[in-house]
Amino acid sequence: MKFLCVLCNEPMRLDGVDGPHEGSVTVFFRCPECAHQIALLTNPWETQLVKSLGVQVGGRKDPAAPLEQVRTHLADQGGAGDAPACPFSALVAEAEARQERGPSTSTSGLWTPEAEARLQRAPAFVRPMARQAIETFAKERGYERITEAVVEEARSQVGM
Amino acid sequence: MKRYKDIVGDAGSNIIGQVSEQQARLAQRLASVEHVVAVVSGKGGVGKSVLTVNLATALAEGGLTVGIVDADINGPAIAKMTGLRGRRLGLGEEGIEPPIGPAGLRVMSMDLLLPAEAAPVIWETSVQSNAYVWRETMEMGALREFLADTRWGRLDFLFADLPPGADRVPNIVELLPQLSGLLFVTVPSEVSQLAVKRSLSRAQGLGASILGVVENMAGYFCRECGKVGPLFEGGEAVRAMAEEAGVPYLGAVPFDPEVARSADAGAPHVLARGKGPAAEAMRKIAETIRVSVMSNPSH
Repeated sequence: MKFLCVLCNEPMRLDGVDGPHEGSVTVFFRCPECAHQIALLTNPWETQLVKSLGVQVGGRKDPAAPLEQVRTHLADQGGAGDAPACPFSALVAEAEARQERGPSTSTSGLWTPEAEARLQRAPAFVRPMARQAIETFAKERGYERITEAVVEEARSQVGM
Repeated sequence: MKRYKDIVGDAGSNIIGQVSEQQARLAQRLASVEHVVAVVSGKGGVGKSVLTVNLATALAEGGLTVGIVDADINGPAIAKMTGLRGRRLGLGEEGIEPPIGPAGLRVMSMDLLLPAEAAPVIWETSVQSNAYVWRETMEMGALREFLADTRWGRLDFLFADLPPGADRVPNIVELLPQLSGLLFVTVPSEVSQLAVKRSLSRAQGLGASILGVVENMAGYFCRECGKVGPLFEGGEAVRAMAEEAGVPYLGAVPFDPEVARSADAGAPHVLARGKGPAAEAMRKIAETIRVSVMSNPSH
């Protein structure tokens, strides 16, 4: 899909992504010539269709993690008996253990308690990926601390 | 006014680039796999998954390195049939470590990711209604990730056990341009043959390579008297159908309750009880496939 500014006859450029909220994503575009801005608002089926392609609106900054699409979208149905509720708990535990074993990889000092609490509200299987994406986002913009505002900014711009 | 083709790239998401990257990642992973065989049926219940496991095991027992990707996302059976249900997947630097099954089979299946035996595959979404709009795309995405993100290592053969239906053929052909060939499975019933004919026509229309047709449940093997009796009407009908379609008839496998019991026990029949007529037939078909695929440079 491409957007053309009819007045300038110039392709519009991506200017930001917000959402999804209640299944809808708002994608902002701006004309590089006249700065006219428009917003594309997807319906839930359109949002889901894009998700099912395994692509990220706004572009991908890092290579996809293994089984990223399945891990992100498979519903957490709760476990039976002693089975873990999260189908990826074993994978995630291993990834976290690996992170802990790595040399000086702890970034906990970067995060304010409020931002950390907000991260913990995300499903367990997306947390490692979300943490990495937000830290990369913060580093690129020169933020020294990850606050709730930075998390929100990352969420709207990266499309998490 | 500018048209679509006049504008280079998209507005900034680079969706086509992201899809190309997915395809490149898949191609890179499968570069160490010599031959990919997709196992197809027209209808469900013809024993396709059991046959897949036994053919793969027979080749592995013959000294080849073999993997199976369970492409049936909603009805995965391969983990159970290889005794791997409940096994933990490892996350390595280069991707997901597949569990190792009988005869060294490397297996990837949605079943290895589900939390409980009765858990269905449910995708997180705000729109469960009208999910037909996107569900098939999501399933193909999952299959692509299973193929691309599993650390298969060097394989001589990778079998893809597809869900039943003619509609699956174009999907797998498009996803895997490096496919060595499609293997069709039917039982002798007219209903099953009718369905597999449609799948064959679809594959031929796409110009896909077809390894041949296997006739499963061709007669009933009685362990008491040691004879194979009729199970379906039809005689040579499947062979005739294959000849009419111009594809090889690879052989007939009789129904043996031990084959089903072995599958339930997670020990492929050719491995556990190798001397019955069903095991012999499956070994022979596996060898035919091996020779056909490995002697053809285009595979």
